[in-house]
Amino acid sequence: MAKKRYPETKILSKNFDKENSWTFDVARENGAYTMFEKALKEMTPDQVIEEVKTSRLRGRGGAGFPTGVKWSFVPKDVDKPKYLALNADESEPGTFKDRWLMELDPHMVLEGCLICAYATGLSTIYIYVRGEYPLSQERLWGAIREAEEKGFLGENIQGSGFSCNAYVHTGAGAYICGEETGLLESLEGKRGHPRIKPPFPAVEGAFGCPTVINNVETLAHVPWIIEHGGEAFAKQGIAPDPDNPRSNGSTGTKLFGVSGDIKTPGCWEFEFGITVKELLYDYAGGPLDGREIKAVIPGGLSMPVLTADELDVPMGFDDLVKVGSGLGTACAIVMDDTCCMVEASENIAHFFADESCGQCTPCREGCHWMEKIFKKFNANQGTRSDLDLLEGLFVNIEGRTICALADAAVWPLRSIIRKFRHEFVAKMTPEEQAAEKEAQAEKARETAGVS
Amino acid sequence: MSATPPRAPAAAPKDVEARQPAPTPVAFPPAALKDECEAILSRYPTRQAALIPILLLAQGHYDNWVSPEVEAGVAEYIGVSDSHVRGVLSFYSMFNLKPAGKHEVWVCRTLTCWLRGAAKLRDTALEKAQAERAGVVGEDGKFLVKNMECLGLCEVAPAVFVDGVAHTNVTNEKLVELMDACE
Ligand SMILES: Cc1cc2nc3c(=O)[nH]c(=O)nc-3n(C[C@H](O)[C@H](O)[C@H](O)COP(=O)(O)O)c2cc1C
Ligand code: SF4
Ligand code: FES
Repeated sequence: MAKKRYPETKILSKNFDKENSWTFDVARENGAYTMFEKALKEMTPDQVIEEVKTSRLRGRGGAGFPTGVKWSFVPKDVDKPKYLALNADESEPGTFKDRWLMELDPHMVLEGCLICAYATGLSTIYIYVRGEYPLSQERLWGAIREAEEKGFLGENIQGSGFSCNAYVHTGAGAYICGEETGLLESLEGKRGHPRIKPPFPAVEGAFGCPTVINNVETLAHVPWIIEHGGEAFAKQGIAPDPDNPRSNGSTGTKLFGVSGDIKTPGCWEFEFGITVKELLYDYAGGPLDGREIKAVIPGGLSMPVLTADELDVPMGFDDLVKVGSGLGTACAIVMDDTCCMVEASENIAHFFADESCGQCTPCREGCHWMEKIFKKFNANQGTRSDLDLLEGLFVNIEGRTICALADAAVWPLRSIIRKFRHEFVAKMTPEEQAAEKEAQAEKARETAGVS
Repeated sequence: MSATPPRAPAAAPKDVEARQPAPTPVAFPPAALKDECEAILSRYPTRQAALIPILLLAQGHYDNWVSPEVEAGVAEYIGVSDSHVRGVLSFYSMFNLKPAGKHEVWVCRTLTCWLRGAAKLRDTALEKAQAERAGVVGEDGKFLVKNMECLGLCEVAPAVFVDGVAHTNVTNEKLVELMDACE
């Protein structure tokens, strides 16, 4: 019997195929704002937070932090205003899932924001959309105007006494503004320099006030959780590891994307559990004709690569960590056998060098330094000590900076030079290639001698 | 104790440009932007928070770049220093600090687009623009080609923007067509 295709589950994407899915009328026909009404009328803010905690919903922006827990950090009794900064910066390379949500179902995104606002007692929502997403901005503004007209935004919503306003805030081109505190600085009209934490944004965020920062997809999940309950959400996907009390599993559904050297790039929604291989072959059409998949970054650009032999692993938070990679944004980038991994490394290093905000020396200098070394290899001038130098740089960059951009540069690059060392050797000078060959032979002799 | 002799003033190094006179700020906001600027300001608890959206508006209004005069005008309007505004402008890739030509072409250079042939697109764009490299306006002043990082259109890569409009699955021929269509 042919293997069954892993089924799609359309919750976030339920309206994607509908005509004019982004308009209020179509969204409302499909239930938009009914769960916000339910929360307002039938639930206390604490009950909403409890439901989200029970669901084990984890942030979809890359770090996977439990959303309900994050909301519970927001102080209740403060005289200061509180804010929601929706992270719609989506600048992670290879990632486009939030764009689909904002363009095709902005009302679902807004409803999620409103439920979060009600639960955490805040009354101003800033949706920070990257400047390169003009259509997302337009559709979100449209949704905000419509929701205002229909009485789901503004003063005393549906006579509940709860008031809330929402605004789209435009970025102007900077990857680092996706990092939550870089985003806050940018929202305040400054360069997007990430802040040292603590204080955490939930306590001291935008304009010195308590601020919730969540990813677009994270909050789009919330209406469903209110409708069906946290338990039902937690039953979908991958359950927490019973042997690890700190495990949160990968519950619910998720938008998964694929791009790069692949036949039919795109975005699909599944319960967690689909493997990288199933995603690439059963949905994204497999490699281009006559080619073979060589390497895959499972989520964006910032995670370690998997080789073609390592793809039989579920696209889950913990599952990918177990094999030395990570879920990241769950939008995979595929490289096939026509891709030179040394050139790819130069391309990747350039991205991080370009996007480093420059505050931390290891990141500012290190990313450029790595790029330079890859350039040297690509001019066939590499040496074995250059590879050692790279390993040294990784140690001196990772974990030594204000934000995780520097780690994000190290992870894919380190995995590439370790898993594809032979490609780097092929781009060394002839003398160095000979020396490497001799060293390998020596190692083989030693191993043979020992056994 | 003998007084230290007065120090001779250090001669200015030769390669340092003479200090530019302070720019004369434009009157900001111009009538066409007034309402929109006020609407933006009303959304935030501080004036400074409106800076980036207002700079984007200003850039669109003044020929797609922010001159020192516009920079100073916006700084005055918002109530921050010119240098703060300059710092912001130089941080974000969408701002132009020099005259930007008549048309702006963005070519994504990041991994997915690169895998799908973006390097060739960049070369084609630069050639058509007669520009020596990305980020500088071509000889005839018509095009500014910029290398951009991932534009979030990876499933339809390679991606190019021409004057703020996205184009996807761009081939070399399509890019030539797009640029030829620019007046
Ligand atoms: C360099 C860097 C870039 C990031 N870019 C984004 C982004 O574009 N969108 C996003 O939602 N999160 C991004 N994040 C993660 C955010 O810092 C933060 O964890 C997230 O917005 C929290 O929301 P969540 O808990 O709903 O995922 C980035 C993090 C880093 C270190
Ligand atoms: S790690 Fe890099 S991007 Fe992050 S704060 Fe430091 S210099 Fe900036
Ligand atoms: S890599 Fe070019 S649009 Fe994402």
